[in-house]
Amino acid sequence: MDFANLAAQLNTGVILPEGIVLVTLMVVLVGDLITGRASSSRWSPYVGIAGLLAAIVALYFQWTTTTNPISFLGAFNGDALSIVFRGIVALSCAITLLITARYVEQSGTALPEFIVILLTATLGGMFLSGANELVMIFVSLETLSISSYLLTGYMKRDPRSNEASLKYLLIGAASSAIFLYGVSLVYGLSGGETRLSAITTSIVANNGEQSLGVVVALVFVIAGIAFKIAAVPFHQWTPDVYEGSPTPVVAFLSVGSKAAGFALAVRLLVSAFPMVSEQWRFVLTALAILSMVLGNVVALAQTSMKRMLAYSSIAQAGFVMIGLIIGTDAGYASMVFYLLVYLFMNLGGFACVILFTLRTGTDEITEYSGLYQKDPLLTLCLSICLLSLGGIPPLAGFFAKIYLFWAGWQSGAYTLVLLGLVTSVISIYYYIRVVKMMVVKEPEEMSDAVKNYPEIDWKLPGMRPLQVGLVVCLVATSLAGILSNPLFTLANNSVLRTPLLTPATIAPPASGTALLDQPSIHSSNSTLGG
Amino acid sequence: MLSALIWVPVLGAVFIALLPESLVARTRQIALAIASAVGIWTIILASQFDVGIPGLQFQESLPWIESLGLTYQLGIDGLSMPLILINSLLVWIAIYASDPNINRPRLYYVLMLVLGGAVAGAFVAQNLLLFFLFYEVELIPLYLVIAIWGGARRGYAATKFLIYTAASGVLILAAFFGLAIISETNSFDYDVVQSQVLPLTTQLLLLIPLVVGFGIKIPVVPFHTWLPDAHVEAPTPASVLLAGVLLKLGTYGLLRFGLGLFPEAWTEIAPWLAWIAVLSVLYGSFAAIAQTDMKKIVAYSSVGHMGYIILASAVATPLSLTGTVAQMISHGLISALLFLLVGVVYSKTGTRDINVLRGLLNPERGLPLIGSLMVVGAMASAGIPGMVGFVAEFIVYRGSLPAFPLQTLLCMVGTGLTAVYFLILINRVFFGRLPESLANLPRIRWQDRLPSIIVTVLVIVLGIQPSWMLRWSNVTIQAMGMEEVNRLVQVESESTRLAETVGDSESVRRLVESTETVPLTSMTNPNSIAFTPGKEAASDKSTEPLGDRLIDNSLPHSKLKPNI
Repeated sequence: MDFANLAAQLNTGVILPEGIVLVTLMVVLVGDLITGRASSSRWSPYVGIAGLLAAIVALYFQWTTTTNPISFLGAFNGDALSIVFRGIVALSCAITLLITARYVEQSGTALPEFIVILLTATLGGMFLSGANELVMIFVSLETLSISSYLLTGYMKRDPRSNEASLKYLLIGAASSAIFLYGVSLVYGLSGGETRLSAITTSIVANNGEQSLGVVVALVFVIAGIAFKIAAVPFHQWTPDVYEGSPTPVVAFLSVGSKAAGFALAVRLLVSAFPMVSEQWRFVLTALAILSMVLGNVVALAQTSMKRMLAYSSIAQAGFVMIGLIIGTDAGYASMVFYLLVYLFMNLGGFACVILFTLRTGTDEITEYSGLYQKDPLLTLCLSICLLSLGGIPPLAGFFAKIYLFWAGWQSGAYTLVLLGLVTSVISIYYYIRVVKMMVVKEPEEMSDAVKNYPEIDWKLPGMRPLQVGLVVCLVATSLAGILSNPLFTLANNSVLRTPLLTPATIAPPASGTALLDQPSIHSSNSTLGG
Repeated sequence: MLSALIWVPVLGAVFIALLPESLVARTRQIALAIASAVGIWTIILASQFDVGIPGLQFQESLPWIESLGLTYQLGIDGLSMPLILINSLLVWIAIYASDPNINRPRLYYVLMLVLGGAVAGAFVAQNLLLFFLFYEVELIPLYLVIAIWGGARRGYAATKFLIYTAASGVLILAAFFGLAIISETNSFDYDVVQSQVLPLTTQLLLLIPLVVGFGIKIPVVPFHTWLPDAHVEAPTPASVLLAGVLLKLGTYGLLRFGLGLFPEAWTEIAPWLAWIAVLSVLYGSFAAIAQTDMKKIVAYSSVGHMGYIILASAVATPLSLTGTVAQMISHGLISALLFLLVGVVYSKTGTRDINVLRGLLNPERGLPLIGSLMVVGAMASAGIPGMVGFVAEFIVYRGSLPAFPLQTLLCMVGTGLTAVYFLILINRVFFGRLPESLANLPRIRWQDRLPSIIVTVLVIVLGIQPSWMLRWSNVTIQAMGMEEVNRLVQVESESTRLAETVGDSESVRRLVESTETVPLTSMTNPNSIAFTPGKEAASDKSTEPLGDRLIDNSLPHSKLKPNI
């Protein structure tokens, strides 16, 4: 194997975006050491954002030019689906960086390190979105997870942050172990295969079509994934971690980390477990139903904004899972679209929560009462984002829900869709409660926090980016639905151009077709590579 | 053309939201100007509206989101034209009748205009998803108007309104999904889904959630509990809009989507609908008698009077459908009038309790003009001839009697009961001696009187000259009803055949009985609609134009489709 051949097989160009993020990360890390704390905390967020945007541009070029997506001997797959998910993760990190600076600054901890860890988490998430091999999956999953544990505990003087970090670490480690155990079973059953595309054929060759071992492995793997996307009953960490950790971290966890989890779910379940697709669909259906019901119902009773958003994000994950379960073109596309829209509306919501916490130091829902008097922009933005999460037209969330439910209905998932519709109505209740607090309350009912609201000053260091992040999310949430054609075309193309998902669309319980198609992809890879 | 009805108010709302601080004091005038512009535009549209065309006019069609089957398709026909007229009028009146010194004027007028635009959008949308979108858009503005400017229990009432309406939206969306999935094109366009023929069970399966969904909005008993709460707590202009046009979304939806898309299933559930109507009418009327809050009385009377619309739409003959349109207009005007008047009384006296108020008709120190208008409104609502309520209710009963005699008779009791509770109200509030505690009321300004006077004039004029309100919808309704009748004929012949083969199957015989209706003959021979002179001479004036039209247009007795 000569060098040129090896280079072609490695096909390193595919991970250029990750390379850019990695370089950015190093620049921030080393630059911080060279220039010193005071100046580095000024420029490091911008470097981080610039790096992420450059990574997104690189992703865009990968999207427009069709090259061989398989790289590193099949360990990483840069297909259209992974491009979109990597884009979502990178974008969520970029917006998180926008809203982070002031928060970390004010808490008195070091900003550059925070950015470095956040970028590492992003890197893990991006690799996870394209990981095509069991070892790769586990390594990137752990990169994402361990960075997340560090981030949740970043406010080291705040006991709540420490508690959140410890809880997250313990439960996360346990779920990693379970996931790893499931993966090891897959590895064993397939006779030592690690590439997802080869696993199915090997398992069938070794064990026949049905095997109890595969189902057991599936259950363990789903437990690991469900932990990442915070689906009930693997959600218990969510409220505590969301409440205790620094809010920007929560913003990233609820969007970026979750999107990476969904990318993993799609890739792993569709490519490695097609022979038990009915089983995993059944398990996920149960998880989706539980998530929608429990997330939405428990959110009703929350008094802390962050806890409410935690339960709302559990419920939202339930909605997104509908797209995964039905497994049609439209289903995957609407799932991608929902995640794109969810990115803006949820990050917009968190940006508002951060801003409010910065100015008042609290995140109790009752403390928001009468806010419109003091801060109309914040009120408007938070109202729009929450109403969009609740699916009120003409905001983006409404269209995302319609896409999702319509796709679900088309493929006959009536129970899920009806449940989704009913729980959306429930969700409107707790979202509107916050809006009511802010907009409806008269000046005399104003909370103490709002009474002592500081003068609005965007000139403080780190406030400008926060404002930009807020406005970007606000505009995107308001318009992404009405002008959803380009976004939805993007989501649709990401599915149509992904060979992995195409067989699944021909016959939803795709065991037979997928089995036939997998080897052909595999063989074409090797011919291209060799 | 039609887009202006939606976008002028919405863009006007955006404009108001972005007004510089120096102009905020003029918000009210700007909002009024926008509402007037919409009103004038509506009148222009109405003047260009060709009443001889049964189908859609001024159509607009733009692709929007193909992957969802959502197109921006607008059109107006005889069913929606009167509702658009009344919407534009009432939005103007609601803005005019708003307190000039209202708190947070900017937000208030923004919400009112968005509300008006969204309702107009729902009336002209010809795509199911587009209709649903407008139907849901209207939710949050009204919620906020009630929650911010409402009475003491406004939070509770607003939330209740929101949850009930959101639930109704979910049911409607589920039915729309179900319908679109059956059409092979996966399109939500009205004309596309309308053109498909569905088996009866499918139709029933889709129609029932639709009826319940719109039933919540109308509202019918037992889904009505949100309405009295919302009305009592809402500020007067919001009550006017809620009763005048928002409830009509429900009946409009029933006619347009229920009857229009599922005609066969509609006949199946028609008797049930009629009974629901009876329940609503009687429950609403008796509940109104028991109330002591003026606004609650009017609210419960709304529940009752919306029942007439359901009764008439259940029958679905051209005559009864004319009745539904007439009753929609009549109820829109009369309830708006009553809410306006109650609002004035409340703002001047500070109470709406009929046990506290007395003698307000006192010519010197009371509210004589308001009281007189209240008497007119009550008379109109109770169906006294010469006013629009009489015309509407008469056509409703005349149209429904042949099909559902028992139900119609029971509903007529409701008209009698209307007189009872409004007499109680007027007797307590306006007659008698004005107590000292109520003397020295604040002065009534023209701004308080003018909206009520405008509506009163309309109530009387349309009562004397009903063809002015019926001319818009005659041809469209004949087309709708014509389909209906043809179907009835078909069903009858089929069921007769069935009866012959099956023998004495009870259900089949009942079906035959239920379909053997007068409108059958009335349609094959339009003249037979003319009334027997002696008995119903009083009604000649009001129904003549209708009869004339039926003859004049001499439409072919074939199945008419909107000509698209």
